Amino acid sequence: MIKIKWFRGQWLHITAGKTLMYAFMLVMVAFTSLPLIFLVNTAFKPMEELFLFPPRFFVMRPVLTNFTDLVFVVSSAAVPFTRFFFNSLFVTVSIVFLTVLVSSLGAYALVKFKPPGATAIFSIVIMALMFSPHVTRIPTYMVVNSLGLINTYWALILPNIAVAFNIFLMKQFMEQYPNELIEAARIDGAREFKIFWSLVMPSMAPAWSTLIVFTFVTNWNDFFSPLIYVTSQAMRTLPLALQVIGGGPAGMTVGRAGAVAAATLLMTIPTVITFTVMQGRVMETMVHSGIKG
Amino acid sequence: MTKQKRKRKLFRVSMRAREALEGLFFVLPFIIGVAVFFAYPLFISLRLSVSQIDAIIGFRMSFVGIEHFTRAFLIDINFVPMFLIAIRNTLLQFPLTVLLALIIAVMLNKNIKGRGVFRVAIFIPFLLGTGEVMNQLLNQGVENQVLNILDGTIIPYNVLFYFGETVVMGVQNIFGMLVTVLWGSGVQVLLFLSGLQGISPALYESAKIDGATEWEMFWKITIPMISPMMLLVIIYTIADSFLDVRNPLLAYIEGFAFGPGGGQFAYSAALGWIYFSFILVVIGIVFGGMKRYIHTNEAERVKKDVSTKKKRILTIDRKRKY
Repeated sequence: MIKIKWFRGQWLHITAGKTLMYAFMLVMVAFTSLPLIFLVNTAFKPMEELFLFPPRFFVMRPVLTNFTDLVFVVSSAAVPFTRFFFNSLFVTVSIVFLTVLVSSLGAYALVKFKPPGATAIFSIVIMALMFSPHVTRIPTYMVVNSLGLINTYWALILPNIAVAFNIFLMKQFMEQYPNELIEAARIDGAREFKIFWSLVMPSMAPAWSTLIVFTFVTNWNDFFSPLIYVTSQAMRTLPLALQVIGGGPAGMTVGRAGAVAAATLLMTIPTVITFTVMQGRVMETMVHSGIKG
Repeated sequence: MTKQKRKRKLFRVSMRAREALEGLFFVLPFIIGVAVFFAYPLFISLRLSVSQIDAIIGFRMSFVGIEHFTRAFLIDINFVPMFLIAIRNTLLQFPLTVLLALIIAVMLNKNIKGRGVFRVAIFIPFLLGTGEVMNQLLNQGVENQVLNILDGTIIPYNVLFYFGETVVMGVQNIFGMLVTVLWGSGVQVLLFLSGLQGISPALYESAKIDGATEWEMFWKITIPMISPMMLLVIIYTIADSFLDVRNPLLAYIEGFAFGPGGGQFAYSAALGWIYFSFILVVIGIVFGGMKRYIHTNEAERVKKDVSTKKKRILTIDRKRKY
């Protein structure tokens, strides 16, 4: 163990274990930041570097032309780009809000009320965990179609709310919540929804923060729902709009590759913000009641 | 007397019924969602896999039996090899992912300097996109560039020459594995982290007072307490690696429906069902195997409460039901 004098008269203790841990973390971080570094680098690459062969990881002469290109493409598009952004934001936020509400309520009721058929519902949930939307994509389209939802926000929102994974996640947390607290509140005369909303939910912060981050990221990046359920230009969300910038689904126009790179970089900003805001909550320790066993 | 008793009993039943009703009411939105957007489509897809489509408009189909399934195993030369590769990849990757995610989560959960930065950095691949954005990145060849340590940018040439080709190739393979696993473990780390946060610090404190070492605490407290999350993570990882966008088999299955020369919805559905029944079996095995080791809060409290044996039996019973 080495002691180093730190500022303000504090001592910094360096132990072998700590050093190893930091080294390990740094290696991990080095790997995981690669996509971001690449993304940022690509966004600033001039045209000739974008198509360099063999491709290079780092930009040599950073330029801003990609962003000016993007502004040009965006301003000349038929649908204003703010519309795509609004679509994405509206759809994603609605899904996040509704799915958090629906899955926490559902999980809470299933775990704590144990209504008839709770076991059956859980079996279905576990089964649903394993099926991807890929298998049911065509039938789901038929359902959405027959409900008359094509080309509406509902088509993008509704199918993504009752997600098995979400309720399973909430369930795992709800099981750890002490029943005594709920009973105590009930004796005190609290209404069931009140118990859920002002007693259970606040102490489930790590659970629903995780859920928010997870749902936001997946749906923000969701490419297939808008591709399938939406045909009008104005209803598209950002991932699809990226293709518009690229020059249509037939394949990227070479001249706009830079603009796509810039747009891709900009598109990740909301997810990073969401995560940074929510991550503090994820780390909040769950409230542990003063109940003694 | 008897009348009164009956009345009381009746009241009690109705209380329970009321509670159950209230519970059902809370779950209702979820049930409707699952029924409309999951169960019903699933049923149609199952029907589709044993039918042929007579008319796209109106989606009329007629029963053909297991024709599509025999085609998958006996006629389609691509399906079975791809299927085996997908299985192999998943079985190789998922223990590694879970293990690595657990290690990272435990470290991130420690009170280390720069924790926030580490946390955000670990989740970057996940934030950048599980889907299209990442796909674009991969199309631009990030993976190959990262994997390609032979070009002298990451490790200098003389070092490479010194070690010789086999070592370099080995290192490169490990690099490749690490990249794939790390880039796909964001969700797992997040889940583990939130699970770790659910562990009461009091447990660690009392263990420390009793003289437990970090290592012992990890095995005796962290692992059991995190077991419900572990189950979720394992299921998620298996399902996710099977259903990854980069999985060639999935693209193959989808190709029959949406790809060039597509429109073979029925065959695509049948392939999907073969694939997913396999996932079902794998996860079923995992679930069945792990069920015994899953730790729930109810059981924990019962252990402390030795005095009321009846309650103990009751709760253990409840735990089993799970």
